Amino acid sequence: MDIVFRAAIAFLFILLLTRIVGRRELGSLEPFDLIMLIVLGDLVQQGVTQSDYSVTGLLLAGGTLALMQVAASYLSFRFRRLRPVLDGEPIVLVEDGRLLERNLGRERLTTEELAAQARLNQIDSIDKVRWAVLETSGRISFIPKQ
Amino acid sequence: MADTPDGIVLRRHRDLVGRRWHPWVRRFLLGLVAAVSLLALLNVFGQWPSTATVAVSAATLEIRSPPAVRGGLLFQARYTVRASRALKAATLVLGRGWLDGLTVNTIEPSPLNEASRDGRLSLELGHIPAGEKHVLYIQYQVNPTTVGSHAQTVALYDGDERLLVHERKLRVYP
Repeated sequence: MDIVFRAAIAFLFILLLTRIVGRRELGSLEPFDLIMLIVLGDLVQQGVTQSDYSVTGLLLAGGTLALMQVAASYLSFRFRRLRPVLDGEPIVLVEDGRLLERNLGRERLTTEELAAQARLNQIDSIDKVRWAVLETSGRISFIPKQ
Repeated sequence: MADTPDGIVLRRHRDLVGRRWHPWVRRFLLGLVAAVSLLALLNVFGQWPSTATVAVSAATLEIRSPPAVRGGLLFQARYTVRASRALKAATLVLGRGWLDGLTVNTIEPSPLNEASRDGRLSLELGHIPAGEKHVLYIQYQVNPTTVGSHAQTVALYDGDERLLVHERKLRVYP
């Protein structure tokens, strides 16, 4: 029974962590972000299953995590007010080639990081960006000027 | 001004109207996570051992064991009996809190005899000459499903004569 509780607590804890570390860490896979993802995965596994090596344990932990995921996405879909809490909200970073410094700072994003993301989208200058939006997934979407 | 992309509301997503306080929620929650780590550094969640000493005219008992542990952890309890006078049949009696939900891996040195004394574990250490000491080590592992607070009573007997009793608590975090 406790493995179900452990899995549920692990899910809620990871959800909390992903919401509080900020989307900068979610969208990028810089070395430090990789460390966090890999180490966290291992720690969570140990905390959830501990010394349980059974297939039943796998089914219980995996099933609970899947159900929690479905429940969270259903709540987000069904209740609009919960979306900012569960998924976050997009934030505009660039408007008409103009950097919105306050919004960048809020997400701990530097101009260099934004320019690098723009280059990955075949945009060589922020001046050519009509809109840049940090999406809830942590990725930055660029809409170039026509 | 450029046309706004679908789903973007400038007041909310560019000017952050109604969202100014959101970073404070994030900082508060981060503070909570940091507070838990700080409490762990202060040994709230185990497993640094603490030492308790109980002395009577016949003997002194020193117990060194962590007051808090977490599920699955290995830990050690050390019981040191110092005899002020010769103890003919020194016996340590451990309450249920030393055994419930814990796995005893080893007891060294092995006691001369193990028995149940009114539901408690009685470990006969044998003769301890005056001025000498007997050190008993028990290696434990916390069963993963064990949680909560457990009363750990230790009593030292010489034969049927009870010399001293010590009460302590073990907190087990999930």
